[in-house]
Amino acid sequence: MKEIRRKRRTWLAVGLLVLPFALFFLSLNVGSYPIPLRDVGKSFLSLIVPSLRSEVPPAVRDIVLHIRLPRLLLALAAGSSLAVSGAALQALFKNPLVNEYILGLSSGSAFGAALSLVFLGRAFPPQAGAFIFGVAAVLAVLFIAGRLEASLVSLLLTGVIVSAFFSALLMLVEFLASPYALQSLFYWLMGNLALAGWRDLALSLPIMAVGLLLLFLLRWRLNVLSMSEEEARALGVDVRREKWLVILAATLITAAATSVAGIIGWLGLIVPHLVRMAVGADNRAVIPLSAALGASFLLAADAAARSLTSIEIPIGIFTSLIGIPVFLALLKKSKKVWL
Amino acid sequence: MGLIRTILVLILCLWPALSLTGQERLTIKDDLGRTVTVPAKVLRVLSLQPEISRIVVALGAGDRLVGRDDFIARYDHLFAIIYPRQQRLPVASAVDGAPNLEQVMRLSPDLVFASPSEAKIPDSLQGKTGIPVLAFASLGRFERLFEEIQWVGTALGRAERAAELIEYSKKILERVQRAVADIPAGQRPRVYLSFWSSLTRTPVFYEPVTAAGGRNLAEGLLPAYLGTVGAEVNLEKVRIWDPDVILVHGSYLSDVRRVTTFGILGDSRLRSVRAVMNKKVFYTFGFWYWWDPALVLVETLMLAKLFHPERFPDLDLRREGNAVFKAFYGIEAGFDRLCRTLDIRDWPWQ
Repeated sequence: MKEIRRKRRTWLAVGLLVLPFALFFLSLNVGSYPIPLRDVGKSFLSLIVPSLRSEVPPAVRDIVLHIRLPRLLLALAAGSSLAVSGAALQALFKNPLVNEYILGLSSGSAFGAALSLVFLGRAFPPQAGAFIFGVAAVLAVLFIAGRLEASLVSLLLTGVIVSAFFSALLMLVEFLASPYALQSLFYWLMGNLALAGWRDLALSLPIMAVGLLLLFLLRWRLNVLSMSEEEARALGVDVRREKWLVILAATLITAAATSVAGIIGWLGLIVPHLVRMAVGADNRAVIPLSAALGASFLLAADAAARSLTSIEIPIGIFTSLIGIPVFLALLKKSKKVWL
Repeated sequence: MGLIRTILVLILCLWPALSLTGQERLTIKDDLGRTVTVPAKVLRVLSLQPEISRIVVALGAGDRLVGRDDFIARYDHLFAIIYPRQQRLPVASAVDGAPNLEQVMRLSPDLVFASPSEAKIPDSLQGKTGIPVLAFASLGRFERLFEEIQWVGTALGRAERAAELIEYSKKILERVQRAVADIPAGQRPRVYLSFWSSLTRTPVFYEPVTAAGGRNLAEGLLPAYLGTVGAEVNLEKVRIWDPDVILVHGSYLSDVRRVTTFGILGDSRLRSVRAVMNKKVFYTFGFWYWWDPALVLVETLMLAKLFHPERFPDLDLRREGNAVFKAFYGIEAGFDRLCRTLDIRDWPWQ
């Protein structure tokens, strides 16, 4: 019985790891502009074999390489980042209701983007504002809570307070905004990959890659950190340093993802739980599989957002509308608590 | 007999008052379907709707304005040109937001104009202050704009001037529409409008484009109700449409403009779009809290010349633009001054 369960989990894990690649290739073929599969392939090959360029219409090549490809890569990276961040923080705080925005990051990012969109013009893009203030919000939490000597509960509570503070500032900016800036802000807040380009990827991907790698390397220590601090210290783990590293990495990848995609909620809360329901609570598996499932989830939501109707539906709406019922259904079915 | 005489005397004495009562009040139905009684003589006007503020000035009643809203105060660089005295007017409300009731009472207007976008505000304001409130907006339609001018003119006792402005506007529009009427749909340029500082937000209707003999590619994408105008599309959609012309919302000041013509021309994602390949990416004025009634006419002329230059060979846009501003606001070189304020180097006629 145990062996069957173990094999089942293994296959599920393999399936989850393969899923983002499959969805990525499928998504390349999804969009408003109908492109035959062979033209998608030729567009890629034309990068290596220049003579193939003449066989692909320029519009097709531009759509595949400059519109869909960077958008999908960003969905992959952002989906992974948000899910892994949520998983890591849930393990660190030993709290299944924690998400990637718990330390005030979403409110800070929203405020930073709002400042840029409303007051600072073209010279200061909203991506920069979102990143800087997202990180600033988390640093404020750490500072107010007394760095990392404070208990995890007080960190969480401080996160709630800092979040409320930046939300209040956001409301002030919204109040002062012209109706036109308000529209731009409104769409940013709902999450949107419509304008994703190579520049966004170049700015955010290195940060996400480094943070994801760090959390991947720390994944077994998250198992230890999810015990009590005394137990963790007894096992030789420098609890303070590890906490610092996890929070730093989670903050950076979440801030980077949010800065280019806007606020995309529920990923960091739901995806780790779905992974735990499938393969158990061992963070050595949960972290990489959360990355895979988060990427898949966002790819699927993005494909739906840009192809279901003639207009582009903000992706944050999909992640909420799809994710919450799926999670509720599975939660009801399993009736288990995984942390 | 004595009683009849008394009654007759009373009637004779009261007759002037009875006559005046008929003239003291006007009944007007606004865009929210509210029937509002306004005094026949309106000397103090508070406009909380920027489009109406411009109309009030065009009607020659600018000196009756006793206050302004926040959009006029902070964002409307055109209003500062057509009515410089506006800087001394106190601000009585946020844009489409709740007005400051105490400020409204302090200003003591005879009539308040509001936007129909916030349906509760007109009733709430009128109920709490006892001051009649009328809610009008063109919502981006020429016919509604003319109705708005007519009703505002009627309310302010400037019906004749309103009729003059409407007639003038209709003449310009008819001139344009007549010149392009026989152009088949297939030969009208296909236009994508990049509005509201976004590459992918576009209005589902924009009458100046249609009037000028173009085709708005986003027409009908979304049902427009209560003035909902914008739709969010994506770049693939723009590529599918493959517009002949891209028009960028140019009413933003240059330092806050997020989407620019050179930005679009240099965007690798759009380089195979016909408009980009043919370098037909231009600014247009667009909505700026709906319209300025003079500027929308100039814009229509500008677009007509852009879309069908052969049909408007003698159209000198600067001269005509300044003439329109003079006709509406009585100011010299108003259009030139606006263009300098907006600092746009690549308008279609340049």
